[in-house]
Amino acid sequence: MDRAFLARLRSLQNSDGGWGFNAGCESRIEPTSWALIALQEFSSSSGPDEPLNRGLRFLTAAQLQDGSWASAPGQPEGCWVTSLACWALLAHTQYSTSLLRGLRWLNDDRPRDSGFLWRMARKLADRQSISTQSASFSGWSWTPHTASWVEPTCYALIVLHAAAAAPLSNLPRRRHLAEAMLYDRMCPGGGWNCGNPHVYGVAGQPQVGPTVWALVALHENSDRRENRESLDWLENIQDTIVSPESLALAQIGLGLYGRQNSTLTERLQSSHESDKIPWSIQAIAWAALAFSDNPEWLTVLSSMPS
Amino acid sequence: MPRETPALLPPFSRPHSRVAIRRVPTYQSDISAVLYETLREFDPPVRGKVVLLKPNLITLDPLGITNTNPAVIAAARESFLRLGASEVFIGDGSGIDRDSQAIIESMRLREFAGPLAKIFVDLNVDDVHRVSLRTRASRLKELYFPKILLRADFVVSLPKLKTHHWAGVTLSLKNMFGAVPGGCYGWPKNVLHWAGIDRAILDINAAVRPDFAIVDGIVGMEGNGPLQGALKPAGVLILGDDPVAVDSTSARVMGLLPEKVKHLAHAATLLGHIDPEKIRQLGETIAGVRTPFSVIQQFRHLRQDVNSPLWTQNCL
Repeated sequence: MDRAFLARLRSLQNSDGGWGFNAGCESRIEPTSWALIALQEFSSSSGPDEPLNRGLRFLTAAQLQDGSWASAPGQPEGCWVTSLACWALLAHTQYSTSLLRGLRWLNDDRPRDSGFLWRMARKLADRQSISTQSASFSGWSWTPHTASWVEPTCYALIVLHAAAAAPLSNLPRRRHLAEAMLYDRMCPGGGWNCGNPHVYGVAGQPQVGPTVWALVALHENSDRRENRESLDWLENIQDTIVSPESLALAQIGLGLYGRQNSTLTERLQSSHESDKIPWSIQAIAWAALAFSDNPEWLTVLSSMPS
Repeated sequence: MPRETPALLPPFSRPHSRVAIRRVPTYQSDISAVLYETLREFDPPVRGKVVLLKPNLITLDPLGITNTNPAVIAAARESFLRLGASEVFIGDGSGIDRDSQAIIESMRLREFAGPLAKIFVDLNVDDVHRVSLRTRASRLKELYFPKILLRADFVVSLPKLKTHHWAGVTLSLKNMFGAVPGGCYGWPKNVLHWAGIDRAILDINAAVRPDFAIVDGIVGMEGNGPLQGALKPAGVLILGDDPVAVDSTSARVMGLLPEKVKHLAHAATLLGHIDPEKIRQLGETIAGVRTPFSVIQQFRHLRQDVNSPLWTQNCL
C-alpha cells in the first residue's frame, strides 16, 4: 500500500520540485517537507531518487537569509515550517550547512510569551479564571512574535532532539521548558489540542493531530502517566476517526508506542480507495509513513552536523 | 488579482441597509424555500457569477452545536444556484483544527450538500495572495488570503448565532477570521489575537468585504462560546446585504447592544450600518423574535435591560 501512496506523491510533485497542499497548488514548505520525509523513508540506497533530489533542491533554495523558512512564497519572515524543513533535511549530509542554519534559527527563535516582562505581567494578572496554564513554561510559536502552542513546539522538539549533538547554546534548557509546557497544556484525562486545556473552567477537547505530535515529541518519557493517559485517549477514540489525515496520524502515534492497530491501516486503505474528497499531500505522506514497518523517520539521529 | 471591493465610506454617505429576519423553528423546516424567497427580495447580483459561501466550520461537531448547520449551508448553496450563480463553493479554514475533512464528515455535510470534491475548499491550505490592508486598525499591515476568496465574485458570510468569550459575539464579521489561512498563520491564527481581535476583524473585513451575510440562528450558542457554550434555540435566520447591519440586528435579537461590541462599533465607522435608523427591517421585528442570550461575566456590559430607552429605541 505504501507504494501506491509514494507513487501518488511522486505524480503530484510540481515542476519546481516542491509540493502544494493539494494537487495543482503552488509549492509550499510544509507539504514539501512531509512529501520529502515520506519519500526518504522508503528511498532505496541503490540509486538516485530524482523526485527526492529535486524536492531537496527546492527546499534549500527556499531557505531565507537568516536560516528559516517561510510558510508561503514571498513572506519575509520564517516560521514553524522551519522545523519541518530541518526534519526533511536531517538524513541528507550534503545539506548539513543548510540544516545547521535552520537549527540555529530555531534555537534562537523565542515566542513572545517567553519574555520576562510578559511572564511577570501574566503572573500578576488574575488570569486563573480564564485559563490555568503556567506562564513559567514556553515552547515555540506558529509565527514570529506570538505565543507558544502545542504543534509547533512538538515539531521543534522532535527536530532538536534529533539534533542534540549540534552546537546550539542553551538547547537543553529550551527543551526542558518546552517539554514542561507540553505537559502543562495536556487536556484533563489525556490528549492535546492546539494548546487550551481549560478555558473559563471548561476542559478543552483533545484532537488527534496535536496528541500524536505531542506523543512523538515526548516519546523519551514513554512511561510517564501523561503519555499513557494520552495513548489511552487515542486508543479509545480511534473507532470514531473518519478522515485519512487523522487515521494515518493515529496509526503513527500508536505504532510508535507499540500499540499498532491493523484496523486503522485497513480503514486508511479503504478510505483511500473510496476517495470521498481528494487527499491533501500531507494526508498522502502521513498515510505512507503509517505503513512503514520500521519508522526510521521518527528516529533520525545519525546524520547530524557536529 | 484581488476582487474589486467597495469603497470605505463613513455612515452618513452610505445608503440604507436591508436586513431580513425570518422565523425558522427547526432544521427540519423548509429552509431552502425560506432562503430562496428572501434572497429573491434582495436580488443579489449573482447571475453567471462565482459565489463563495463561508460558513463557520470550526471543529468536529457531530451533535450540531458549534458549526453552521449543514442544512442551512446546503439551502444557501441551492438558493444561489437557483438565482443563477454559475458556481457556488463552500469554504472555511478552522482556527483550531486543521483536519477539515474530519470536521465536514463529523457534521455530515455531504449528506446535505452532495459530493464535496469539487465544491469544498479548505481555506487554510488554498493558494494564497498577499493583500495590503486598507484600514490598518490593528498592528497588521498586510495579510495573505486564499485565492478563491479573492477570485469569487460574491462572498457570503454564513455564521452561526453565537456568543464569543473574547469578542462578545461571533457573527458574520468575526466569522471572516476563518478566511485567514492557517497554512500561513497556524492553528490558532495567533497573529490575529496579538494584533488585537476587534481591530483585526475590521482589517480583515475591510480587505475582503463579504457581500452578503446569512446568520444561522435556528439554534445558536450562548455563554462561553464559540466552542464551550450552551445550545440556545432562537428559531431565526437573519440575512442581508450589509454584514455590519446583519450582525447588529443579530446582536439585538440576542438581547445585546451592538454599539458596545467593540468590533461592531469599529466596523460601523467604515463598513456598514449599526444605527437602526439606517437599517430597513424586513420580515419579523426584532422585538418579535428577541431571545436573550447569556454572556460570560466579562461581557455583561453588552446586556441591555429591555425597558431602557436605548433598548426600546433600537429594538421596536
